[in-house]
Amino acid sequence: MSGEPAGDDEPPERLAEELDSIRLARARRVLGGLGLVALVGVLFGQALGTVDVLTENYTLEFFLESLGNFFPVTYVGVVPLLDVGAYVAFIGERNLLFASDVSLLWTDPLRLFGEVWSILRSEGLFALFGVAGNTLAVGFAGTVLGFPLALLFGVLGSERVLPFPLNFLFRGTMSAIRAIPALVWILIYIPLAGITPVSAVLAVATDTIGNLGRLFTDELEEIEEGPIEAMETTGASRPQTVTFGMLSQVTTPYIAWTLYIFEINVRIAVSLGVLGAGGLGQVVETQIGLFAFTNAMATLVCIFLLIISVELFSQRIRSRLRAETETMGLWELVVGFPRRFLESLAR
Amino acid sequence: MTDITVDALTKEFGDVVALEEVSFEIPEGEFVVVLGVSGSGKSTLLRCLNGLTEPTDGAVTVAGEEVTGPRDDVAMIFQQHNIIGGLSAYANALTGSLNRHRFLSSLLRLQDESDKLLALEALDTVGLLDEARQKARRMSGGQQQRVGIARALVQRPEVLLADEPVASLDPGSAQQVMGYLRTAAEDRGLTTVTSLHQVNLARKFGQRFIGLRDGEKVFDGYREGLTMDVIDEIYGDIDTEGMLAETDIEQGEEPDRPTAGDGPVA
Repeated sequence: MSGEPAGDDEPPERLAEELDSIRLARARRVLGGLGLVALVGVLFGQALGTVDVLTENYTLEFFLESLGNFFPVTYVGVVPLLDVGAYVAFIGERNLLFASDVSLLWTDPLRLFGEVWSILRSEGLFALFGVAGNTLAVGFAGTVLGFPLALLFGVLGSERVLPFPLNFLFRGTMSAIRAIPALVWILIYIPLAGITPVSAVLAVATDTIGNLGRLFTDELEEIEEGPIEAMETTGASRPQTVTFGMLSQVTTPYIAWTLYIFEINVRIAVSLGVLGAGGLGQVVETQIGLFAFTNAMATLVCIFLLIISVELFSQRIRSRLRAETETMGLWELVVGFPRRFLESLAR
Repeated sequence: MTDITVDALTKEFGDVVALEEVSFEIPEGEFVVVLGVSGSGKSTLLRCLNGLTEPTDGAVTVAGEEVTGPRDDVAMIFQQHNIIGGLSAYANALTGSLNRHRFLSSLLRLQDESDKLLALEALDTVGLLDEARQKARRMSGGQQQRVGIARALVQRPEVLLADEPVASLDPGSAQQVMGYLRTAAEDRGLTTVTSLHQVNLARKFGQRFIGLRDGEKVFDGYREGLTMDVIDEIYGDIDTEGMLAETDIEQGEEPDRPTAGDGPVA
């Protein structure tokens, strides 16, 4: 084996040099990596010191006891099982997910129908979903209210639409809005409407301008120059060029981002509820305050269901939008349903 | 009557000279093909004719008016189509009428009925009336380019410019698209300048030819003048024999074309 490179002295020397320099570079990189880990470690220790992690007065016993209450146990014979009934009872009693009584469905369906109808007529669609409906309404109204301004600021914030110093006026405003979290925005709106769902809607809307607007601006950076140039050559005015040449390239991502922000806004609506703006968040806060941990956990289950439903709904729409193949329009979806249903039965 | 006048047009990008003292005049209604290899200045010339690129020196005059920027009466067809994928073929064609409408009416699609009919007529001209409602993104490359032509026609231009309109198409679609372009221009009496790098297509569809090499005009003449020597001059040391062989294959069904005879001389 060693005989192989012996015919020529020069290449092995060059190779050895190269290997040495590779080793040196590698050693430097390892040392640098270790230094970095050490630095992060020191900073972590400092951060823990700042939050008094060592001197805190822990009540571990109470914590474990409360955890037990989060998950109430019922015995079937001698087998311990999670007492789901306790959750269901609280959810039904407080109308967390449904404004009427679900058990009417099997006891008195006609009465249920009548109650649902009267709720729909007197209080509207969102009220039908009880406390969860309140949270959902805050997220939805906030998104719809914030969208037009997010679109305006987002589009005008792009350097491709407005030249550099001007676009920064809008970019800067959005950055300023983002710097303040929604939880603080609702505090700012207290003088206007107190800690109410109305303030929550305004806080969510403001937050939407900053976050959704930023996504809109970023999306505009990615568009192609071609269609813009093509619109210019047709003799289109500047607003026409922006609309047809630029915005028409981003309609699908804009809808997708708006749905994404809607998901986040429903989550924000929960946390604003914790501050006292109604909805599921407020129920959690109240029940924890009363040390009624089982009820709190029941509410958390509702929050989980609400968020998952919103996400599923938004995911379905987004995947339809992004689908490359021709998808069914809403019209076909509704009108063609009986036929597709029969076809699937006949199979 | 002269429609386009190019006078000592020079364009430099930093140290690179893309066009050097190019001059020519095009009478109204002529179908001109600009020939040259990649980087010979074809695109720059067309962009200067359109006002998308500002010349370093010299001037371009269209219909007696100097070109300073994109104009209503000059339409452009791009190599990459540059149509809007999310819109239907019809909506894309209709964007050609943007200059005649205010922002809101074009946004809400409240154009005059005459413009809407013009869009459909233009789609009919390029053989896409049945596909009018299809999304542009789902169309083939050749169809997309035909939508691009329709959009240019809806603009109701005097001058039609096309920058390598068939460079990204397969030979079959390329012939088809060039055919539609030529027909549309003839029917409407449009002055047309298109750049091409395929000699065979140029000879088949062109009326007059302008050859560019390294930014300089090396040929300006009609079909009779476009001999093998001239093609060699334009394309330099590139093997042009292959290009003509391609011509022979594609024009096999039309033996009366002059190219068939000129072909293998090189």
